[in-house]
Amino acid sequence: MSNSREKILAAVKANQPEELPLPDVPAFTGDGSLEKFTTILEGIGGKVVPIRGITHLDVVVQELFPTDERVASTLMASSVLVDAQTPIEVLAAVDIAVLQGEFGVAENGTIWLPEANMLNRALPMITQHLVLVLDHKQIVPTMHQAYAKLGSVGDYGIFLAGPSKTADIEQSLVIGAHGARSLTVLLV
Amino acid sequence: MSHSQRSDIFLLDAERTTWHDETLWFVRQKRDKAVYALPEFQDLRELASQIKNHTLSKLDHYLVQFEEAATRNGVQVHWAADAAEHNAIVLGLIRKHNATRVVKSKSMLTEECHLNPHLIKNGIEVIDTDLGERIIQMREEAPSHVVLPAIHLKKEDVGDTFHIHLGTTKGNNDPQQLTEAARQHLREKFLAGEVAISGVNFAIAETGSVVVCTNEGNADLGVNLAKVHIACMGMEKLIPRLSDLSVFTRVLTRSATGQPVTTYTSHFTKPAPGKEMHIVIVDNGRTKQLGRPDFRASLKCIRCGACMNTCPVYRRSGGHSYDFTIPGPIGAILSPNIDMRKHASLPFASTLCGSCTDVCPVKIDIHTQLYKWRQVLAAEGEIPASKKWSMRLLSSVLSRPGMYGLGGKMARQGLRFLPHGLTHAKGYNPWAIARELPEPPKQSFREWYEQQQKVK
Ligand code: SF4
Repeated sequence: MSNSREKILAAVKANQPEELPLPDVPAFTGDGSLEKFTTILEGIGGKVVPIRGITHLDVVVQELFPTDERVASTLMASSVLVDAQTPIEVLAAVDIAVLQGEFGVAENGTIWLPEANMLNRALPMITQHLVLVLDHKQIVPTMHQAYAKLGSVGDYGIFLAGPSKTADIEQSLVIGAHGARSLTVLLV
Repeated sequence: MSHSQRSDIFLLDAERTTWHDETLWFVRQKRDKAVYALPEFQDLRELASQIKNHTLSKLDHYLVQFEEAATRNGVQVHWAADAAEHNAIVLGLIRKHNATRVVKSKSMLTEECHLNPHLIKNGIEVIDTDLGERIIQMREEAPSHVVLPAIHLKKEDVGDTFHIHLGTTKGNNDPQQLTEAARQHLREKFLAGEVAISGVNFAIAETGSVVVCTNEGNADLGVNLAKVHIACMGMEKLIPRLSDLSVFTRVLTRSATGQPVTTYTSHFTKPAPGKEMHIVIVDNGRTKQLGRPDFRASLKCIRCGACMNTCPVYRRSGGHSYDFTIPGPIGAILSPNIDMRKHASLPFASTLCGSCTDVCPVKIDIHTQLYKWRQVLAAEGEIPASKKWSMRLLSSVLSRPGMYGLGGKMARQGLRFLPHGLTHAKGYNPWAIARELPEPPKQSFREWYEQQQKVK
């Protein structure tokens, strides 16, 4: 195995061209408004709901999902307790996960969700519905500002843009492939 | 069989061919809309191209840097010289964990290495979890596009397939309901998965992270439920810095489907506590391609599929006509590197219109490379005999003006008298199978010119 490593590296060294320069990436900027973020996110199937604050989150969630009961959250009273060790069967039964999104990117409607905000790495995907709470002031214009703001992506993290979807059957767009069937962003 | 012979099979169904052509062109138009909305798009293409050029020029350095960073993160890095070694490493890891149930998200590399048949042969259940890939896995077919693996199928085909394999009602061809059936079926597989295999879109040298882009969330779901994550990557997936990702995430999906970004752009850096993460770095002919100055730029490819969507030949011949893991224009320049004889017809499956080069987000000179492969293939004696002899005849005629004039005269006369069945005989004039020869002119340009001079 390590033999292949040496062989490959030697062949790469022998075959790669003279060094070419690495360009600096300018920080292209753009419209970083909440309106732009909202328009793009709604265009890709997300729902954006402005709320007053997170004190009455349970009421808001109850109104949005009147028939779903099993909620896992870092921000409000949970009916299912989830942590990194939660067994798969328990995770699979979660209806709604209510988590904190860190910041949004206006150009593509994506939201940074680091592992620390997930309760369990599988939760944002395995839950039937995902609700992200986002501070409306935390919007950056483009991915350049997004990665600059991050500095580090941590152990695991996702830029999430809307609900899980597919167009693999005759290019017909279907929302709710394997991950969450819906994404609601609650703006505070 | 050559590319054109395999295309004939695809073209038998005219209605489907038209649908295929128009659907992919529609995707190309969505790409244009997304791209034109971004004033700096051309700058981003140039940056993406330069970053890739730079990375390839210092690939040994970045591979080692990546390995060191990943190792520090608690990830185990493996190196595979070829497909067989890659498959052996993956099987070994699965066996080490006494696992038999594997879920796999999209990875063109594992297709290239024929990993699935290898695992299945060894008693491992491997389930492709991307919807398109699952459909073709059930049908025992290969993907026909790098981003849209089941684009050669109609919803009726999927309905039939799911009826047989998932027990959906016969005649239920509703994409929404079929997707729901697949969701239920795959959920069971996700929950039972012991090992998850994923592809890699980008590998970041400075952090040792791998980035996986999906719309369905299947990679994240599989990886985060399984005990072991094996990420398989070709060595050309590296980029130097985290900040370079901003360039690539901005061009990838806009070029691919016209979306502003994929639904999930996931960064895997460290395994979750108590779990394992492995990365297999694969060569399988890539170092050889790196050593071909005319063709090394093909290693910059980020597999967006834009060159396929735009190609007039691909759209009308279908991905399977290429008989190579990566179809379309990029496949036609990657494949002769792997097996020149087998894929000799692919660089000819192009009009050299250059549309692929125009849309490529990393500025690969695809059509120039297609042209260069033709030269290499001719020099190696790998072009079809008919093409070889007609080219030789043509060059001897074109280099002798007298013979050229005489030949023209004979053709102008001859075409008037010879029966259509003879001039358009399929056997020796394949050009005329779907075309009509023009009416022969009365005189040649030379004759006309001389006449004009006399008139003056
Ligand atoms: S060659 Fe360029 S256009 Fe074609 S798939 Fe690769 S990156 Fe996309």
